[in-house]
Amino acid sequence: MSIPTEPKSGRLSDRQKDVIQKFAALGSLFVLIAVFSATSNAFFTVNNGMTIALQVTSIALLGIGATCVIITGGIDLSVGSVLALSGVVAALAVKELGMPVPIGMLIGILTGSACGLINGIFVTRMKLPPFIATLGMMLIARGVALQITGARAVSGLGESFGELGNGSLFRVVTIGDDGFPNVVFPGIPYPVILMIVIAIAVSFMLNRSVLGRHIYAVGSNVDAARLSGVNVNRVVSFTYVLSGTLAGLTGCVLMSRLVTAQPNEGVMYELDAIASAVIGGTSLIGGVGTISGTAIGAFVIGILRNGLNMNGVSAFTQQIIIGLVILLTVWIDQLRNRR
Amino acid sequence: MQNGEAIKGMAGTSFADEMLLSLENIRKEFPSVTALADVSFDLKRGEVHAVCGENGAGKSTLMKIISGVYTPTSGKIVYKGQTRNFANPLEAENLGIAIIHQELNLVPHLTVAENIYLAREPRRGFLVDRRKLKADAQACLDRLGVAISPDRLVRELSVAQCQMVEIAKALSLNAEVLIMDEPTSSLTEQETRLLFKVIHDLKSSGVGIIYISHRLDEMADIVDRVTVLRDGRYVATSAFAKTSVDEIVSRMVGRSLEEKFPERTSTPSEDVLLRADNLTRHGVFRNVSFTLRRGEILGFAGLMGAGRTEVARAIFGADPLNEGTVTMDGKVLSITSPRDAIAAGLAYLSEDRKAQGLAIKMPVDANMTLANMEAVSNRFGLIDFAAHAKAAEHYVDLLSIKTPSVKQPVRLLSGGNQQKIIIGKWLFRQSRILFFDEPTRGIDVGAKFAIYKIMDELARTGIGVILISSELPEILGMTDRVAVFHNGTITGVLDTARTNQEEIMRYASGYGLSPHRPAAN
Repeated sequence: MSIPTEPKSGRLSDRQKDVIQKFAALGSLFVLIAVFSATSNAFFTVNNGMTIALQVTSIALLGIGATCVIITGGIDLSVGSVLALSGVVAALAVKELGMPVPIGMLIGILTGSACGLINGIFVTRMKLPPFIATLGMMLIARGVALQITGARAVSGLGESFGELGNGSLFRVVTIGDDGFPNVVFPGIPYPVILMIVIAIAVSFMLNRSVLGRHIYAVGSNVDAARLSGVNVNRVVSFTYVLSGTLAGLTGCVLMSRLVTAQPNEGVMYELDAIASAVIGGTSLIGGVGTISGTAIGAFVIGILRNGLNMNGVSAFTQQIIIGLVILLTVWIDQLRNRR
Repeated sequence: MQNGEAIKGMAGTSFADEMLLSLENIRKEFPSVTALADVSFDLKRGEVHAVCGENGAGKSTLMKIISGVYTPTSGKIVYKGQTRNFANPLEAENLGIAIIHQELNLVPHLTVAENIYLAREPRRGFLVDRRKLKADAQACLDRLGVAISPDRLVRELSVAQCQMVEIAKALSLNAEVLIMDEPTSSLTEQETRLLFKVIHDLKSSGVGIIYISHRLDEMADIVDRVTVLRDGRYVATSAFAKTSVDEIVSRMVGRSLEEKFPERTSTPSEDVLLRADNLTRHGVFRNVSFTLRRGEILGFAGLMGAGRTEVARAIFGADPLNEGTVTMDGKVLSITSPRDAIAAGLAYLSEDRKAQGLAIKMPVDANMTLANMEAVSNRFGLIDFAAHAKAAEHYVDLLSIKTPSVKQPVRLLSGGNQQKIIIGKWLFRQSRILFFDEPTRGIDVGAKFAIYKIMDELARTGIGVILISSELPEILGMTDRVAVFHNGTITGVLDTARTNQEEIMRYASGYGLSPHRPAAN
């Protein structure tokens, strides 16, 4: 029926609504930047920009995985624990088994992939609700991380372990007259480069590839996709593997930044990841979502945290504000979907 | 039932011509569209008044105004002699106007009694008075004369039974105006007859019924007057008995439709395209055998639940098959998933378009190419967007799909156009056998004709078509042969040209079968 079903409020075309949604998120990002620039001198600087970008990487990387999972109509609650497990596995591989750092980190990342694969198998073959399957994994991965480290941080990993998290590209340093180094440009941190490359790659995959099309199709209507010959189980499993892999990568980046592997790292990160996807317009019902939206969502959360910190807002108040932002954006999303 | 007959005897005198509801010059505007313009409508006590019109004609908007969902922009509603302006559906319901939606609104995990009195449970203190709940529900069901236990869970009921529960619920609200939206669309002939009996009883007890349906053929049994809407405008109201179906159809479409079915231009060839031998799925169907020839339209007729859809889904790999073989072009197929079936050249157009056929949030082009992404992507799995758009546009033109662009999300299109998109999807996949499962359910007359024409053209190109339909005129109008299902097996394969509705119904109901009637062909 072409009859409008919305009794009240003005009717906008879908395209207009989509644009509004997109600009609502992007607009609020600019408003945040403007407000924080006005209230804090140190906010709008190259250095702080890089700090924010670095802080945002973990949310964004996890958010990219979460977006793909949520588009299929699933959810991944395990990423916070999986990143801790992956990080400590990488650290232990380097420290206890004496492996070179790149190999150790690769093993860490693959640990994340394996966790994702297990999630995928539980969701597709054993038909567990994604919430339950990944809740189980969340507890198991955390437990294993604590178990294999004896709940202690793994430190003494050597300088090369910190390279991924702390190194940067195009760092320009001059030696000043007084003999102290003078940082002209802090460089683009490796994690930020990783984030950009992965965001572009996954976005490309979603928009341009057959696999991406199938991901949207499964989320939009799983029965129609199956009856059209889409290998639903493989598509869904892939999204969990991707999410797990990105969690593994995030774990390695985070542990590398601290040059210490903490089995307690990443608690509640899954919620930041989901929040960034949702703020960016990903629908929890499935079928809708973009990486660009999630990137904006991740920056909204990151900038809020950073800016509020700079303005001396307490951590408790920050939580309240971020909670309100999530409610507000999802409410806007509901308005958009009430067609 | 006897009670009803008794009242019926007095019907002529007791509430003859007593006006229950009248709407005058109703206009409803939405910011971008005028959904109704100067529509007038009235309903007498004890009458069934049908509202007909194609999709988008304004039937739903009118019903939403009567049931209080929308407030009209202008116009007057008079209900039982008083001018009313319903603020919300609850107000209309409390005054005795009930609506039974096409998608039934029952809670599957609650019992029949709990559904009938949902949110109005009789209480004893804080607790539900279960005994009274059950007794009251039983009384409502008895009034309808239907044998459904109030203790059964709604999810165990058939669609027809659910509908009866909805009607019982409306009666428990003392409804005097009952709006029924496509009540027979998912009922079998037998269930429809039972529904009509109930409608007759309701009429004689003075309930006014507004009856919305696409199935004009059934209306003769119950409808007193018919109002036709077109493009949001009032066309005409007339006594049903004095109006021919063709007149109604031509009022609906604004032109006269010579026939409901196009002339068949295709003739089946002799060579067998698909052969099914002794297909069995335990507890669902057994020993199902049939053949489909190149260029043939084979009907699957039978009552709801007789196993027609289940056989199609099993052949297509969507459901398991325990025994039997499917042979195509003389080769035995081994199908374990829809992917295998699609690769072999089969296509299944499901009876529930929105739930199983379309990714409704996605645009036309993405739906059209979903089953054949290989054809529009390179070997790295990247989509070739130029080829993608070209393919979609080709089938939009070929099937005359009305859409502003191939980027339009399919949920914004009408049922007929959605069905055409699904057909386009399978044509693009170069499917050689198409299973159409209730392809014209819920789509309007003009679009039905277009779908029939497409089926005929497909058959002419040598494609084998299996048409699963509960509408016998459709089976008789479109098929070459018809396989009749009863209770999970095929009771006869009849030559369409030499059979009739009565014979098909006899096979479908399992009565009076001669044990070994030779199948046609």
